[in-house]
Amino acid sequence: MAENNNNNADSKLIGLLAQFDDPESLVAACNHAREAGYKKMDAYSPFPVHGIDPAIGIKRTILPLIVLAAALGAVVVGLGLQIYTNSSALDFLAPFPGYPFQISGKPVFSIPANIPVTFEIIVLTSAITTFLGMWILNRLPMFANPLHRISRFKRVTNDKFFLCLEAKDEKFNRAASETQLNKWGAVAIEEVRQDLTDNDLPKWIPTAAILGAIVLLLPPAAIFSQWGQTNRHPRLHVVPDMDWQHKFKTQTMAPNLANGLDEVDLMYADLRSARRPVDGAVAFGSLDIDSEMNFGIKQDFAHAISSRKSMRTLLVSATDDKTAESSSGDSPALAADATENIDQWVTTFPEGVEVNEKLLARGQQRFNIYCAACHGYAGQGNGLVNQKALALAANGDATWTAARSLHDADVKGDAKNPVGRIYDTITNGRGNMGPYRAQIPVEDRWAIVAYVRALQETGLKTPGVDAATDGEESAEKVDPDAKPKE
Amino acid sequence: MHETRPAKITSPVVSLGNGYVRTIPVAAIVAAVGVVLAILFSGGLGARFMHAYLMNYAFLLSICLGCLFFVTIMHLTRAGWSVTLRRIAELYAMCVVPMALLFLPILVTVLSGSDVLYPWVDGGWSMGDSDDPAAVATAGFINSLPVAQRPPFEQLKYGFLNPGFFAGRWVVYFLIWGGMASFFLFTSLKQDKTGEGSLTHRMQAFAAPAMIVFAATLVFSSFDLEMSLEPFWFSTMYPVYFFAGAVLSAWATITLTALWFQRTGRVTDEITIEHYHDMGKMMFGFIVFWGYIAFSQFLLIWYANIPEETFWYNWRINYPGWKTLSYVLLIGHLFIPFLAMMGRTVRRSKNFLFGATIYLLVMHWLDHFWLVMPHYNHYVGGGIEGRGWDTFNPMADIACAVGMIAAFIAIFCVICRDRPLVALQDPRLGESLNHEVH
Repeated sequence: MAENNNNNADSKLIGLLAQFDDPESLVAACNHAREAGYKKMDAYSPFPVHGIDPAIGIKRTILPLIVLAAALGAVVVGLGLQIYTNSSALDFLAPFPGYPFQISGKPVFSIPANIPVTFEIIVLTSAITTFLGMWILNRLPMFANPLHRISRFKRVTNDKFFLCLEAKDEKFNRAASETQLNKWGAVAIEEVRQDLTDNDLPKWIPTAAILGAIVLLLPPAAIFSQWGQTNRHPRLHVVPDMDWQHKFKTQTMAPNLANGLDEVDLMYADLRSARRPVDGAVAFGSLDIDSEMNFGIKQDFAHAISSRKSMRTLLVSATDDKTAESSSGDSPALAADATENIDQWVTTFPEGVEVNEKLLARGQQRFNIYCAACHGYAGQGNGLVNQKALALAANGDATWTAARSLHDADVKGDAKNPVGRIYDTITNGRGNMGPYRAQIPVEDRWAIVAYVRALQETGLKTPGVDAATDGEESAEKVDPDAKPKE
Repeated sequence: MHETRPAKITSPVVSLGNGYVRTIPVAAIVAAVGVVLAILFSGGLGARFMHAYLMNYAFLLSICLGCLFFVTIMHLTRAGWSVTLRRIAELYAMCVVPMALLFLPILVTVLSGSDVLYPWVDGGWSMGDSDDPAAVATAGFINSLPVAQRPPFEQLKYGFLNPGFFAGRWVVYFLIWGGMASFFLFTSLKQDKTGEGSLTHRMQAFAAPAMIVFAATLVFSSFDLEMSLEPFWFSTMYPVYFFAGAVLSAWATITLTALWFQRTGRVTDEITIEHYHDMGKMMFGFIVFWGYIAFSQFLLIWYANIPEETFWYNWRINYPGWKTLSYVLLIGHLFIPFLAMMGRTVRRSKNFLFGATIYLLVMHWLDHFWLVMPHYNHYVGGGIEGRGWDTFNPMADIACAVGMIAAFIAIFCVICRDRPLVALQDPRLGESLNHEVH
């Protein structure tokens, strides 16, 4: 090994690299070095060696503490962000209101709903902090290391073990250190030198960097220069077919495109872009001229209904008694009938509804989905929603009209509620009960009617009464009732 | 400095020796006193005592099952590090066989047609809120119906929850658990004598199907044991919750037992600080897992806000005392141990772990108390004792806990006898002895 001067102008001594043939002698050498007082050194090996950390005196990393701090910060940021965005109700945030949305009747800011988001933010922050913290603590990225210039060192990824004593160490002495390393069992020792000759950046790099930065700044500068200025040129349209489609948007006035864009000339006298349907037109799948099937009203009472418009009037009037007089301009008498005349309701199932076990089973299933929540599975008026609402109402926390029991004397029976009227109740609601026509198709409504009648006929009166015997007696009655008309 | 230890047991004492002979009478006396006190505090063998018994039984059974899980998962993953701890888990898992006898009081209560524990025994379906006439009416009404006329969901549940099927299921559970535990323990003991490596392969091959069966039985037994106390209510997250608590307490129990053995001069060389460190990590992980599952279950029910699900939480978070207990669990079972067990230094301290494991077991006991007792408070004791903590006296539960834990210790000592407390000739013994944590 050539004896080189430390002050050589071309290169600088970084340290001494000692090679060992097995992990045990590397660990032993590390221990010797630490005991000899060396502090600045590092060991290199192809695989993790047990016990190397204490041997070279590496302290526990502070990375966990950094991650903990970042995670706690994430809690504050995550929760704070949600508080801010959800609740402008907070006084001190009034000048910067967020977007308070009430979802599912939950409070605007509720901790349980915010836990998952906060949790994810904690996980993400911790992961990123761990990754970046590891890089920073290890001084990565490192683009060059003089060790890699030593050909012997290449075998560190294969089968050799190295210890490098750094020249920066106070105990380091070129000759003495080499003697010590030899004594500790080094197989070979080499100087690590840093080449000082080409340390400077090439001259063109700063110039290129400045030029590149200027080029990158041009687009934002161009955008900002236009900020707040008026531009009289028409907007640039890259795909005109898409920007000007040959169609009218809903609820807009219709310009007459034939005369060009600049001229205000409306196509239709009524200013609408869309045409209203021709009188008597029926939308696909919504033919409802069969008043028995679709409204539960006998043909005799509904034969006057000829247009879609009056049909709709009938619907409105059946829903709300008070508005019946005013809204039904063309047939006030009919509308009044619709709400008051008990004879108008069909008393038997309409043609096309075949009451059989299948229909009842369907009705039971639909009833349990849509009706049982308030009326209870047996129609007792004791569904869970009803119970909860009554309990709240009792405390004054809510107002609530109790769901009726379907077995009450004034609900049951053809005199009060022929099947047509039950059907109408499901369709349009009654009292505080809302309409279900949007949720339940016509056939299913009749199925529910059949099931309700079956419930009423089997006579489940009050809790605790043995329903089985009662039910068997009257079970037969369901069938005659269920025959279609005629 | 790292050294390679030879794969040899070096501790002078590796069995309980005479220790168990001295422990058993003391434990038996404490057990008898505790249970008698519990009966006195409960005012007889009625619903109050049975609920205390059920709660403590679930607590102890969950520890056995957690240990059985430990043994199975270690074989399944061919783990080397845990070999020196595995025998403790095998011995605890074996306790599941005598635990079958302790299940008899519950089984007899159910089979005798008494509904002091489970309202479904005589066909009763309850919302339990006797303050609310509508709920009582609903429950009473459903109870009055023949099964075929009940709402469809309740018909299905009745097919599952009836005394005969219940008893049959528990026989199957104990056969499976007992079979698994004995297979693992006796095969391992055989290996102590012969040192055959093939026995390890046999246990590994057994562990895979056993784990599937174990998962199924754990799920259904958690439904049966505690969730069916309220047959109206159900949560598919419940078995996972039960599992999380069971495994966490098993980890704590194994660690605590290892510390106890080493303090009394047994297996001093084989279980090192590295093993304790890993057990601490596992406990830390399962603390988080428990909190994750507990919150997931709560969040789903809270968000959906359906009355037949929310009432279960309503009892636990809207009534005085139970509300406090819920917060105690949230903070004491999750936040405090989460922060406390985070650091490496504390996990490597035997003194800290000693306190931490006892603390975690107390929290796990409170967890089961929280699962069972609000049901008693509302459904059975509702009209008599009121709904809040102010009228609820937990002395019966505490006395019962002392008694049953003492009985459990006696059982453990009988299972241990003079068996080696560490696997003597496991092929991975060397790996475990040289285990090192980074």
